[in-house]
Amino acid sequence: MENHRVGETGLTDSGPSSNYHHHAVLHGMNAPISSNFIHQNGSAFGFGELEEAIVPHGVELTNDEAKAPALFTRSRPSSATLAMLPSNWSLRFQQTPRESWNSRGESTDSVSSSAVNTLPSNQLQPESPISQKESSSADHHQPFNHKPLQQQQLEMASDISSLNQSAAQEKGRGSSSSEKQPDAKTLRRLAQNREAARKSRLRKKAYVQQLESSRIKLAQLEQDLQRTRSQGFFVGGCAAAFGNISSGAAMFDMEYSRWLEDDHRHLSELRTRLHAHLSDTDLQTIVDGYISHYDKIFRLKEAAAKSDVLHLITGMWMTPVERCFVWIGDFRPSELIKMLVSQLDPLTEHQVMGICNLQHSSQQAEEALTLGLEQLYHSLMDSIASGPVIHEMQQMAVALSKLANLEGFLHQADNLRQQILHQLPRILTVRQTARCFLVIGGYNQRLRALSSLWASHGPPEVLISDDQSCQTTDLQMVMVQQSQNHFSNF
Amino acid sequence: MGMGMGSDPMERLVKLASESAVVIFSVSSCCMCHAVKRLFCGMGVNPAVYELDQDPRGKELERALMRLLGNSQAVPVVFIGGKLIGSMDRVMASHINGTLVPLLKEAGALWL
Repeated sequence: MENHRVGETGLTDSGPSSNYHHHAVLHGMNAPISSNFIHQNGSAFGFGELEEAIVPHGVELTNDEAKAPALFTRSRPSSATLAMLPSNWSLRFQQTPRESWNSRGESTDSVSSSAVNTLPSNQLQPESPISQKESSSADHHQPFNHKPLQQQQLEMASDISSLNQSAAQEKGRGSSSSEKQPDAKTLRRLAQNREAARKSRLRKKAYVQQLESSRIKLAQLEQDLQRTRSQGFFVGGCAAAFGNISSGAAMFDMEYSRWLEDDHRHLSELRTRLHAHLSDTDLQTIVDGYISHYDKIFRLKEAAAKSDVLHLITGMWMTPVERCFVWIGDFRPSELIKMLVSQLDPLTEHQVMGICNLQHSSQQAEEALTLGLEQLYHSLMDSIASGPVIHEMQQMAVALSKLANLEGFLHQADNLRQQILHQLPRILTVRQTARCFLVIGGYNQRLRALSSLWASHGPPEVLISDDQSCQTTDLQMVMVQQSQNHFSNF
Repeated sequence: MGMGMGSDPMERLVKLASESAVVIFSVSSCCMCHAVKRLFCGMGVNPAVYELDQDPRGKELERALMRLLGNSQAVPVVFIGGKLIGSMDRVMASHINGTLVPLLKEAGALWL
């Protein structure tokens, strides 16, 4: 009669295989003390079938083993099975003096492999668990014949028997079969399996949801691409088609090009309204609107940084000339402020002080962030440069996690830029702030124009080369030229 | 570095934070912590720095800081004059909007 337990454990794939064996064997032992087992023919209360399942093919169970249970008052699985139980692999084996094993010319490093690979033909003799048949020294596959092992098997057996005893006690409490009184370990294992299955279902659900939202995003992207193409802009989507930038980067580039359109509109309106001598309140609304417009690009950058921080921090989203001046992913705030001071006359003395303090604070903050980033780069260099090749994967993992810190620095740099933009209207009047934004806007426009002029003055070969980046520049140039069609002087 | 005795981590934080004019909780390998330390040094301030990875009960303090700030980054965190300023975000924002320097002067960490 076999042990029904094995099939009822409800084990999932998530459990490690050693646990499975352990558990299954435990179950085998818990069947126990159904009074049947001793009287069974040829199988150890179902253990024979269990062993066939566990012990790999090629390891034969001898008659001795098959008969063993009938002659034992306690259950005792074969040593092959015993050796596969995780509890066997620990302290007891370590306590065994290795010399005695080594004297047999054995490698004793992997007990489990020796368990699986050996044919433990010289097993426990039924009558006396302690007596052993000393195998010949020529026999290389009998590690289990050593006395220490015998002792260990005894200990193992007594463990098993104590388990059986507790199960027996449970049985004694009046349940007709042990199946109605599973022990705590079984219950826990069952609960764990249920939990694992539940988690698995949740993961699947999350994955499906992710797929769905990606599908929607893709549809939206395709729509956007259609729209921008029809308007004559060729950035972002095309670059992605060339396959040289990530989809997160391509998406940001597209969002940025749309933002540039908006920027152009905002600046035109600002210029018109400023020259129209609007009331300060009305102008304030427009100025506030422009600050929100900048807040938007910072938000977009923050979101894009999660998928491609390198694209942002290296300034790949900008035109090449702008990229010359990049500091941690965008303009250097203190340089911008320096430029503003000269353009914003007349300023009151109070305002001059305010602007100078702002510039000074910005410089200090920039210096701190630069130093922190430098330390990150050095640390990254160290983690890649050193160490033996054996640990390469580990090295890479460490380097990757360090690289992830770039996102924090980009965030702080953008935060600094945003804070400064918000601080300007607190120092300057509304009109001055409006002029400020026009100055900044004009400056950036000229940088981009410079970039396209530089590109168009290059040798003709450049435009038809295989170099992908040139093609991207070419496309950006087309974009700039497009925007220059409605370019108005500031 | 003063080590509080057997007290609740939050209490220990508050105690440490009030022992110096400027207190920075940091982790020695953290680059952003390095940045905030350099910021204060660059301003002529001499902050008291507690490297939590070198404190036997540092993990507790890290968790308490995370709870205090409500975010997943425990460090860097800055206290000035015993009052919580926050992490790098807040420090930079207060430097730009001009509130940092007065706070430092008030706490006696900066002189004109």
